[in-house]
Formats: sequence, C-alpha cells, structure tokens
Amino acid sequence: MINLRANSAQDMKAQCVSLWLLGTTLVLCSVHTTAFRRCPVPVDMHLLEESFQEIKRTVQTKDTFQNITILSPVETLRSIKPVDVCCVTKNLLEFYMDRVFKDHQELKPQILRKISGIANTFLYMQKTLQQCQVQRRCHCSEEATNATRTVHDNYEQLEIPSAAIKSLGELDVFLAWIDRNRQETSAA
Amino acid sequence: MLRRLLVPLVALLSLRLCPGTHGSELPKPPEVWFKAEFFQHFLCWLPISNQSESTYYEVQLDWYGRSPWESLPHCSQAPELCCDVTMYTLHLYRSNGYRAKVRTVDGSRFSNWTLANTRFSVDDVTLKVDSVKLEMHEGFIFGMIQLPRPQVAPPGDTYESIFTHFRQYEIAIRRVPESFKSSQMVDHENFTLPIPGEVGKFCVKVKPSIGSRTNKGIWSEEQCIALTKQYFTMTNLSIFFALILLLCGPLAYCLVLHLYVRRRGTLPTALVFKKPSPSILISKPPYPEMQDIIHPLHVQTFLKVSPEHLNLHGSMNSGFGSAKPSLQMEEPHFFLPTPHPQACSALGKGKPPDLQGSCSDGGSSGGSSSSSSSSSTDSGICLQEPSLNPGSGPPWKQKAGSTSQGQDDSGISFVRNSEGQPGSTQDSSLLGHINLLGPEAPAEEDPDTVTFQGYLKQTRCTEEKTAIAACLEEDTPLTDGLCPQFRTCLDPEAGWPPPALAKGYLKQDPSGITLAPAGVPPEQCNQLNEEWPLLGLTIFGNLGPSDWNFAHDLDPQDCMAAPEGLLGSFDSDLVTQPQISNLYSSE
Repeated sequence: MINLRANSAQDMKAQCVSLWLLGTTLVLCSVHTTAFRRCPVPVDMHLLEESFQEIKRTVQTKDTFQNITILSPVETLRSIKPVDVCCVTKNLLEFYMDRVFKDHQELKPQILRKISGIANTFLYMQKTLQQCQVQRRCHCSEEATNATRTVHDNYEQLEIPSAAIKSLGELDVFLAWIDRNRQETSAA
Repeated sequence: MLRRLLVPLVALLSLRLCPGTHGSELPKPPEVWFKAEFFQHFLCWLPISNQSESTYYEVQLDWYGRSPWESLPHCSQAPELCCDVTMYTLHLYRSNGYRAKVRTVDGSRFSNWTLANTRFSVDDVTLKVDSVKLEMHEGFIFGMIQLPRPQVAPPGDTYESIFTHFRQYEIAIRRVPESFKSSQMVDHENFTLPIPGEVGKFCVKVKPSIGSRTNKGIWSEEQCIALTKQYFTMTNLSIFFALILLLCGPLAYCLVLHLYVRRRGTLPTALVFKKPSPSILISKPPYPEMQDIIHPLHVQTFLKVSPEHLNLHGSMNSGFGSAKPSLQMEEPHFFLPTPHPQACSALGKGKPPDLQGSCSDGGSSGGSSSSSSSSSTDSGICLQEPSLNPGSGPPWKQKAGSTSQGQDDSGISFVRNSEGQPGSTQDSSLLGHINLLGPEAPAEEDPDTVTFQGYLKQTRCTEEKTAIAACLEEDTPLTDGLCPQFRTCLDPEAGWPPPALAKGYLKQDPSGITLAPAGVPPEQCNQLNEEWPLLGLTIFGNLGPSDWNFAHDLDPQDCMAAPEGLLGSFDSDLVTQPQISNLYSSE
C-alpha cells in the first residue's frame, strides 16, 4: 500500500515535470517566433539585387584574394539564430555604412551611383532597426556579438582597399541572408 | 658570315615559336564565365587564338570561402569550350557560391589562370520550367506548369524549396497561326485562361521568374491545344436540369396540394359530436339551419298545461330563445301559473304587439309555432328583452313572427334588466323578474338583476328589436305579481359584446321548486310542480349546490303558502342572481 502511494506520487511528479517542460517549450517557441517577427524591416530587395548585379562584375573582378572571405567564414551568417537576426542585421548594416562604403574609393561614376543607391537603402534599414533597439525589440546576444566581431576581424586582416572591395563583392551574400530572413518572417 | 648569323637566328626563332615553354608565354583564355540553369551548371571560356592540337585547358573550382582549389580533369579532356560542373556545384543554392579559373596547357607549357568574371552564385542561375500541360473545360484553358525535377539535385533541393516565395510565371498565348501578342503574370503553377466563345488552336508558353531576385528566365516550349464548341458541358447540363426543376417543381407542388386539399379532413375525436340519445328530455328541434344541437323538451311534460297559463309562457322562459316561438309542438311546452291580474295587466301594458302576439299566439294556439318551427330553433320559451321592458316584462310568449323570419336562436336568451344595462333598480321590486344580462355584464353591479353569463347572441329582425325594446319599457312590480316573471328583454342596441351561443338549455331539476304565483290554485300549483319540474330551477341565478338544495327542499305545497312567505323565503338577491351559470353544469 505504501509502495502504491509512492508510485502514484512519483507518477504525479513526472507528469508535473513533463507538463512544465511542455509549457516552457511552448513559451520559448512563442517567444522565439515573437522575437523573429519583432522588428520587420520593409525593404525592396529586388531593387537592391538589381543594383548589386550592375556592380558585381566590376567589384568581384577586382577581388584578388579568392581564398579569403569576410562574411562567410564557415557559414557564419547561416549559423545565426532567428532571435539574433535583428541584432546581426543591424551590426552588419553599421559595418557597411561605417567602414566598407567609406573605405572604398570608386572612380567609375556608374559604379559609384549604384553603390550610393545601396547605401541609401541601408541607411533606411538602419534607422528602422535603431527604433526597434530603442523599444527593446532588438536584443543582442553573445552569439550575435561574436559573429559581428568575426566579420570585423576578417575585414582587418586585409588591406583596407582590398577588404573594402572584397566586402562590396560579398554584398550578394549579405543581401541573400536578409532576403531569406525576411521571407521566413513573413511566412511565420 | 652566314654561318655566324645562323645560330642566333635559330635561337630567336625557337623563342618565338614556343612562348609557353616557361608558363608565362602561353596565352591564357581571354574570358571565363559560368552559365547555369536549374541544376545544370556549366563553366565556359574563350579559347586562345593560336591553339594547337595539343592545347588543352585546365579548370579548377573553388567553393567560395573554402580551400583548396579543386581540379576538374574531365574538363581538360573535353574538346568543347564549356565544361559541366554541376556535380561539383551541387551546393550552389545552399552556399555563397563558387569561383573557377581556367588556364591553357600545351604540352609542358601552361598559361596564366583566368578567373571567372564573377563568383558563381544563385543569381547566375537562369530559371526555366520543365513543361506546361493544358486542358480545356467549358471554354477555359486550364494550365499546369511542370517545374524542373533534376535527378542530380540533392534530396530536398527542389525548385519550390529553393525559391520558396515570390515565384512568378509569365504566360503567353497565341492563336494559331498568329503570333504572341500579349502575356500575363500568374503567381501559381496552376492558371486559367479564359477564351470565351472562341474556337481554334491555341499555343501557350511560360517563363518563370522570382519577384525578389534578378534571375533571368527563359520561355518554355510551346504547348498547343484545340478548342471546339461543346454543347454538353457541365454548365449547360446544370442549367438544363435547373430549368427542369423549376418547371416541374411548381407542377408537383400543385399536384400535391390538389390531392391534399381534396382529401377531406376528419374531425378529431374530441370534436366529434354525438347524436343525441333519445332519453334526453329536450328534443332536438327540427331546425336544419341551426348548428347547435337542441334537445327539445318532452312534449308530455307540457301537455297538461292549461291555456290559462299560456300568458306566462313567455315570461317563464328559462333559457330558450327569446321572441321566438317556443317549441315546435302544438301544445305549449311550459308555462308559469297565471300571474296576478294586476301584475299581468301591468305586464300587458305596453307590450310590444309582436311580442305579445307572438307569445300569446304561441300560448293560445300552442301550435302556431309549429308552422314557424322550421325556421326557428326556439324550443318553446319566449323571453323578453330587457331593452323593451326594463321595468316589467311581458309574459313569455312565442313569437311566431320572429320565427318566421328565420332567426336562429339556438340557445338561451334572457331579459336584461333595464335598457340593457345592468344594475338597474327597476326590477328590484319585481321578484319575478329575472333579468339575465349578457355575458359581459358584470353581475355584481346589479344584484337585482339576473345575469346570465352564457348568453346566446340572438340575431333578430328589426321588428323584433322594436318589440323587445318595448318589452323593456314595461315595469311590473314583482310583489304584486306574486309570480315570477321571467323575462329577458334583449337590448340590441346595448353595447354588449356578442355573447357566445349557448349550447343547450338550463338543467331542469325535476324536484325543483315551483314558484306558484298568487292565485294559482293549489292543484295547479302541484301540477305545476309535477309537470313542470323544469321551471323552478331556472329562476335562480348563481345558486350553488347548497342553494339548489334549498330549492329542492322547498315543498311544492309551499307554493300555496303565502306568496310573501314563499317569496320571502327566497333571498331577493338569490332571485336576482344570474341563474344560468348552472345551465351548463349538468350539461
């Protein structure tokens, strides 16, 4: 009789624990999806893609360091979690606005015009994300911070002109990553 | 001289003929590029200008961001200037792209590497559908786009999974032999092209695209379909059947309704009227137009009535139609004892001629009513309307005239007290006057009047109304008469609501009292009591069972007592109480 009571008590505890875990999982999932859709960034990706395609040949041709990458070392961006998308996007936008576009010296006006268009679009996106950060909807985790630091480290390994041109050449990687996250957000 | 110049010349010529001997002299391919469709990736390059048969090109591929470069030997042995690198770029759609380089090799000489213009990425893939299937339904072209399904694609890498969102397709259609003139964009793999009212051969081609990408697309092969007129389409058939239902539905409904309506319904059991049994005292008067079953009284009961009592016939009507010939029998059915001469004379004054005549005729002849019985349902008691004689009531008389007019009195009518209004005090002194009011008249307002709460609405002619009105005007003192004057004077002008038809007569207690008027011989009184058991009970209004007992306890000989005593034994209120509430109790 005492054993039966003990078994029943254990069963109850196990059920409670399982229910607690289930509830925690559900809460986390909801938080996850909520965070993912916390700061949507409206942007015309097609316009960005077109602008890049027009400068892609020029900037990528000038990239002589084929064995080095700045944005995609060991699939850095692909390993970013959805909850860190907002933070990483904001940091990379700052990276391009504060370092790449300023360090690159373009002589051809057609290329410069396209790069300016891309920069303006990045500026609009940056302001939207800053508002989300003020509203505490764009939290930066340690992983997001580490990924941003890796990008900066890779950029610093090269000379500034080479790094800048390489970073411009890898804009397609950054744009594809933004588009993929935006589609996943809309689907969620 | 020539021998000394020959050696340098030979050396010079050897250098010019063999430029790649040291790797840097062999020209490199001028240009290298990728061209790709969905899982069909090719690396192409331009050849050098002066290549020999031993010249070949070496290709190397690099997964962007990873090392080292990978050589593609099969590309070196290919005579064409393009090499299929699909199997080496399967992760193109899941990675950041590939880099490729090509150099010329001729023997032992190698040229410099020529890198591909751009990094090979998803943006470089040209989109194309596999095919398109067309079907025709009711003048519409239904198209189904077949997306490419390459066998070399890794598991899970399909067109839909790679390009999840913003898939678009440009649809172009032309009518043979015309050319393509217009196109439209669709967002799904299944589309519909309306071509109403046209026949012929139509060809369709499709070009895919991605809304968020700059990928180029190419047209698919034309797929043609022939449109012909179809008469037996689903739309036409559905319209046809709908019309049939619309036409046949009302017909069927009318048919069903007709059959149902023609079928005679049967009355429920509860409403089935049973034929009266012969044992009922009241015989049914032969009035075909009457719907109510009237149980006439037995004739024998009233055969002994002396003609002297005929004058009281009308006033003693306990529940039969007023102003009508009482019974259809030749003999007067029941009569009250002869009232006091003074009272009777007073009653006689001012009597409506019709009423008097009818009632007297009925009383005198006894059978005059029979001639008019066919049109009247009055079984014998002629009541006077109170409107005609509020103060006094003429004796009950048969009203042949009224019956001849075909009035359908199927029940009981009673005299109203005074001009149709209850509460009149004129009859308070008239013990014999029992004024029976309509059903709407509040009995409690006029204790001196007899109120009947189940009165039949009697339709009568104007003459009768006049006669009845005159009846109400008369006033007969009750005490002088010493004979109960039962009269009902109906006031057609009273604002009473139409009372319901009474279904029968008052219950007559055989052992009821007999109110013998003054002057009635005891023998007659006894006879009255015996022969007219119906009379006594009709007098009293709201008498309950105890009252009935009281009435029953009265000895017939009491009628020979002093009228005052007899009358005094009755509560005036009782006399004036509405009496006919017990009419239906025994019924």
